[in-house]
Amino acid sequence: MTLDMSKYLALFVSEATDHLDALAHELVKLEKQPEQTSVDSMFRHAHSVKGMAAAMGYEHMAAIAHRLEDLVDAIRSDRSLVTRESVDLLLSATDALLGQVRAASEGNEVEEAPELEAELAACLASVVAPPGATTSLLDSSAGFRPPVAPVATGSAPAASSSDPRPASSTPASSAMPAMWADSSAPRFTVKLRIASGCQAPGPRAFLALKRLAKLGSIFDLNPAMEELRAGKISEGLISLELETGSSESSVWGSLDSVAEIEIASVVALESTRQPRKRPIGHPQSPPTGQEAAKTIRIRTELLDYFLDTVGELILATAQVREIGKGVPLALRPALEEGVDRLHGLVKDLHEKVMSARMTPLSTLTDRLPRPARDIARRRGKDVDLAVAGAEVELDRTIVESLSDPVLHILRNCIDHGIESKEERALAKKSERGNVQISVRRDRDRVILEIEDDGRGMDAEKLRTAAIERGFLTQQAASRLSHKETFMLSCLPGVSTAKDVSDISGRGVGMDAVKRAVEEVGGTLEIDSERGRGTRFSLQLPLTVSVVNLMLVGIGEEIVGVPVAKVLSALEVDSNALSKKGDGALLRHSRAVLPVRHLSDLLGIPGAEHAGARPYLVMEAESGKVALAVDKLLGQEEVVLKTLSRPLDLIPGLSGVTILGTGRPVFILDVPRLLVT
Amino acid sequence: MSKRVLVVDDAIFMRNMIKDIFASGGFEVVGEASNGLEAVEKHKELRPDLTTMDIVMPFKSGIDATREIIKQDENAVVIMCSALGQESLVMEAIEAGASDFIVKPFRAEDVLAVVRKVLGDA
Repeated sequence: MTLDMSKYLALFVSEATDHLDALAHELVKLEKQPEQTSVDSMFRHAHSVKGMAAAMGYEHMAAIAHRLEDLVDAIRSDRSLVTRESVDLLLSATDALLGQVRAASEGNEVEEAPELEAELAACLASVVAPPGATTSLLDSSAGFRPPVAPVATGSAPAASSSDPRPASSTPASSAMPAMWADSSAPRFTVKLRIASGCQAPGPRAFLALKRLAKLGSIFDLNPAMEELRAGKISEGLISLELETGSSESSVWGSLDSVAEIEIASVVALESTRQPRKRPIGHPQSPPTGQEAAKTIRIRTELLDYFLDTVGELILATAQVREIGKGVPLALRPALEEGVDRLHGLVKDLHEKVMSARMTPLSTLTDRLPRPARDIARRRGKDVDLAVAGAEVELDRTIVESLSDPVLHILRNCIDHGIESKEERALAKKSERGNVQISVRRDRDRVILEIEDDGRGMDAEKLRTAAIERGFLTQQAASRLSHKETFMLSCLPGVSTAKDVSDISGRGVGMDAVKRAVEEVGGTLEIDSERGRGTRFSLQLPLTVSVVNLMLVGIGEEIVGVPVAKVLSALEVDSNALSKKGDGALLRHSRAVLPVRHLSDLLGIPGAEHAGARPYLVMEAESGKVALAVDKLLGQEEVVLKTLSRPLDLIPGLSGVTILGTGRPVFILDVPRLLVT
Repeated sequence: MSKRVLVVDDAIFMRNMIKDIFASGGFEVVGEASNGLEAVEKHKELRPDLTTMDIVMPFKSGIDATREIIKQDENAVVIMCSALGQESLVMEAIEAGASDFIVKPFRAEDVLAVVRKVLGDA
């Protein structure tokens, strides 16, 4: 691959992935509601991927996309071809293409998929053989046609300026042999769009018309030829009617080799059938007018960079303010005024950057129907997935980190929650299981709930499993509340599943789900009722990067703990502790908490404490603990920075921040620190 | 195998620039011609995958040269090099059989995009 091509790679990868994701999404929809789902946009996605892959030189990718396109085309004219098997095949083709795109993005060879190609070809052969034969006959004859389309070929350009013939609804080539004006030949309304940056729209349009004219006769050209030749094309849009014996896909393909102009829509005009409308452009990228100008694609790295930089700006401002405290009194008002103004501007900028990073949860939920279908099928269940409120927006980091946890919960719901058809019938439930994902905004939090109407969790089994694994005593278990009991399923290795299926149980477990939710500053709650179902409730912050930190002194060091994780802070005299073996216990609001020393956990020498010392009460995996520290230095709102390699590998550190004084401070993940 | 290109332009500077663009795109420039007559000869001799053709040239115009090249080889891919204001000449060249055109000032990406599109069809 040449250097130059690599410039296009990132864009190719992002656009091709978008098209393929959308295609997979619509395929799943198609299977459910074959009649109501538009196949047109699927065709367009497949067609775009084919064109893009071919342009990038990925022949194997283009070959699969081409077959995919043909098969979708066949489905478009005959919905009865929509079967589980055909959708399966189309989905595997989509997956294969996604795999190839991924390989390309990683700089690997795009590999051939001969079996898949053969399978697609076989499927195609079985469905389109008869009409295909006619089409190809007509196609081949197209090459021998007399120049029937006068708009492109009838007049020499030199003479055209004096040519008064306007484009009209009668074939301007009325002198042509009647056999070519066969009124039974299908007509298509074709809309073309010239790229906005095109320097010579006139010749560009002319070239495109010339290609289309190879397929048949052109009517109703708008704008008229004269205007078109002069480049007077409003918003770059051209429409025309094309009478042709060629197939619709040949019309789509006719401009594949012409740059800067694309077919926006092809609508068959047939008296017997309803005209099929094709939306101009991709639904997510409105192509025309003002909307298009209002949104642009931006690299996510750039968004991350903005956030990092604006974070640095906040810190730098705090630093200047700090320095200002040492400036002679006479100079201070002016300096402080300047710093205040700067602070205001930076805060405003921070807000804007944060809002630019907001991403709707639909980017996550749109990807779920596909795995939901696959898991349900593998388990022989029928499950309906409903999503509500996916338009709610969150910081993109949160949306991204939720992707695995949400998928895992969904798997759990379908795999373990929803009963088999027989079991549901016995329980007088409808055979189809339901999983409902709902998202809503609640002040500065977002609540994401995933709820199934399955068999519910067995609290008793959870308690037994947790006790068996030594996480808590019988006594402690009996004191747990309803919801606390279900949270036991998030302890490593505790699961109510009788067997480890090949679907859930692998990769991330519920403990990883809980951790991932907490890492973005959220909390997880589980509620369940036997026979009625289970609800997983994720409470999420809107943004991640600003956290309220409790600053703690250990010897000479300062570390931070998210305030949200601190249940309470108190000072206790060491005499008030009770001894237990090597450790100590602290009595706190009717509970007895094990004492852990942060200095031991971090391996930092702590200060000596004769009398009272501060403790932080925190939640750990094994229950509450009292964390002994040297000093409580107060709370501060800080900009969280994620750790980069190799620091991110150290367990117990969740991030770093820089205080106004310029001092870097690590943020601790205390529960993990206690485990390691 | 990289695609073989014939570059036709009466200005050496333009030929060099076009050659650089193609080199950056992984194409092999196999020949050059500085007028229409030479272009037709070179095309016959080299049978390139693609020819870039200036429009206004001495002895024989790019349009006439294109017409003759297409007559010689109906599958020949000729891309016109034009400037703004030459629209009608470009359309004349398309009538004569040119596959596509590029507009000066040339930007490497645009040129290569057009060329790749055209060759994807060829």
